[in-house]
Amino acid sequence: MPSTLTGIGTRPDQALSLNMKLLSHHELAGFGGIGEGMGMQLAKGGRRILWMAHESAPKNFTAVDVTDPKNLKMVVQTELPHAKVRSNSLDVVGDVMAVAYQTSAVNMKPAGFDLFDISSPESPKLISHFDASGQYSRGVHAVWFVDGETIHMASGAADFQPTHPSDDQFYRIIDVRKPSKPEEVGRWWLPGTRVGDSVPPLKRHPKFDSGYRAHNTNVFPQRPDRAYVGYISGGAVILDIADKSRPKLVSHWHYSPPYTGFTHTVLPLFGPELLIVSDECVQTDGKDWPKLVWVVDARMETNLVPISTCPLPPVQTFASNGGRFGAHNLHENLPVPGSWRSESIIVGTFFGGGVRAFDVSNPYRPEEIAYYVPPAPKLSKAGSIQLNDVYVDDRGLVFTVDRFAGGLYVLEMTV
Amino acid sequence: MPERPRDVLAGKLPVSLITGFLGSGKTTLLKRLLRDPGMNRAAVIINEFGEVGIDHELVANSSESMTLLSNGCLCCSVRTDLQETMRELFIKRRAGEVIDFDRVFIETTGLADPVPVLHTLQTDGMLGAQYRLDCVVTLVDAVNGLRNLDDAPEAAKQAAVADRIVITKSDIAPPAAVAELEARLQQMNPYAARMIAVNGEVDVAFLRDVGPRSTRDAKGVERWLSPAAGSRPAEGAYLGERARGGAHDASIRSFCLWFDKPFTWDSFSAAVQVLTSLRGSDLLRVKGLVNVEGERGPVVVQGAQHVFHPPVSLEAWASDDRRSRIVFITRNLERESVESLFAAVGTLAAQSS
Repeated sequence: MPSTLTGIGTRPDQALSLNMKLLSHHELAGFGGIGEGMGMQLAKGGRRILWMAHESAPKNFTAVDVTDPKNLKMVVQTELPHAKVRSNSLDVVGDVMAVAYQTSAVNMKPAGFDLFDISSPESPKLISHFDASGQYSRGVHAVWFVDGETIHMASGAADFQPTHPSDDQFYRIIDVRKPSKPEEVGRWWLPGTRVGDSVPPLKRHPKFDSGYRAHNTNVFPQRPDRAYVGYISGGAVILDIADKSRPKLVSHWHYSPPYTGFTHTVLPLFGPELLIVSDECVQTDGKDWPKLVWVVDARMETNLVPISTCPLPPVQTFASNGGRFGAHNLHENLPVPGSWRSESIIVGTFFGGGVRAFDVSNPYRPEEIAYYVPPAPKLSKAGSIQLNDVYVDDRGLVFTVDRFAGGLYVLEMTV
Repeated sequence: MPERPRDVLAGKLPVSLITGFLGSGKTTLLKRLLRDPGMNRAAVIINEFGEVGIDHELVANSSESMTLLSNGCLCCSVRTDLQETMRELFIKRRAGEVIDFDRVFIETTGLADPVPVLHTLQTDGMLGAQYRLDCVVTLVDAVNGLRNLDDAPEAAKQAAVADRIVITKSDIAPPAAVAELEARLQQMNPYAARMIAVNGEVDVAFLRDVGPRSTRDAKGVERWLSPAAGSRPAEGAYLGERARGGAHDASIRSFCLWFDKPFTWDSFSAAVQVLTSLRGSDLLRVKGLVNVEGERGPVVVQGAQHVFHPPVSLEAWASDDRRSRIVFITRNLERESVESLFAAVGTLAAQSS
């Protein structure tokens, strides 16, 4: 018998919870590894369908009927054409869904995105494919599609030769008002990342070089002239996109080094004039700790001031359970019907740290108000839960997914 | 779309305080509780490990001051003081060093006045932010209970502040004594539900989920304030005195005041301030739902002696009955005095507006 209780709460086979209650769990027919694409469709007949992009092949995307959160029904699960492509990201507007495709190496296909008609969720119909493949491109990593007209995305392009192979994905704006014929209308990249730029290539992060690439590219109806972009090694970027054909840099908050890089999401809270900036943990066992959720004062968008971070449990407690532990995706207040929106409560996933909610009404002192850490899924290669993405619906239900094996967890948040 | 206000109660860990005079059977009850499957994920703070006699085969894991039992219950002994123990427990839970317990049971010593523990929960900033009082459970034994209520002010106070009363040792007391004890408890505190336990056998459910636990559950809060099932409306002191010819503890009274008109928060808190500053030590327990002008739902107030918990606004009323209702359990303080104080403050406040 061990002589102390140290470590007793860190057993990865045990759920931890505060103000979140598990309502149901779906293993997605044995393919429970989900990427960072989750979207909710309010379908005909009052059904709520949750669409999820898989983290890797063989599956493309899976839809689950979550109308009754205690009685989940898988509606459809689709295949990728081969094992060297992943979808990872998707978004849903009405009955149209955009799905990203990123290949494991350059010069492969499909690399781009698909638009699907999902008016009949059981049988998604392909509307069109946007090709972003090329000799320097791996295609699309993440899409942002919330208005039915424009897809903002992190993508490579056939004509974009990066100065460094890791800098291949930049910000592209695609007009999809004619869904059968998507068309690029604008793009922006961090100067120095493209061959031929007037500035020299950028200095690499000495220890954690994940590339100067776009990740999440968010645009909200409150500020249609702004794009909020996580630029991985490049930090947080605000762009003026009043003229989509010529995005202009407004502001750039670059905090790595000394930090460990990988800026993932830049989520604006327009009322309190804050940015919530999340990193992504990309290494196991806490090697790239700290990976944080930052609260940034954005009252003056040209002078962003970080004022606090959301408090996380001690890294020692979780990092040794296996897999990653640190920030990743946030619920992004999607401006679409069905999505929950809050300017005071931030919900995010933290891999082995589970899903966590913070109250930022006092932005100088964010407070953790809820969390749920599921037990390690049986077949997970990580040895612990690795919650990857989260979507909160307007009923206050929290949908969160495991990166490798656990599938979908539906939680009731009581805060 | 205005955001739904946060449920300020939901985030806090409920605390059940288990009190009872010397010999009332707390140790027997705890022995049972620590073996109960319903105690999975509960933390129990006890005075002495030795006394409850935890068998080795029940222990899953242990350290100097904490033991994880095989039913998933975390048992801790108080070392220096309760405040420190509760802080340490929360910090260890937060760091994942102990199970993520979702409620706490605290055993108080037999001579203890439970009110200071209620105050600790309220006045310690960290404890107040992380824990909430769920209920005070008082054990009264059927053999000596009546005498203790008469002779020991601590015993009377324990019964007066209770939200739940467990009558123990009924199997070795004459039925008439049990009935007399019940009548006395009914007279002192009709707002506490009672049960009779034999050999410490108590359904865990009786000891938990009693007090306000969600700002969205007005019905639950109303139940908490209602006289316990089967009891008469709260005019106990008067009936009790007549029935027993004015025994010692008749100085403890319980009554519920109802108010038809909404209060302004200023006038309500002024009345409470006068009451606590003049007679705080005689307000053994106050709990109520107050209709405050400008609030969508009722405001939950509760206090013990001089200390009141911060008021909590509920999202909505449970029914059309929006009268304020406040339960008072007092010592040497008549219903009429409290009533007339509220009336006077109400009149003054109305004249000022």
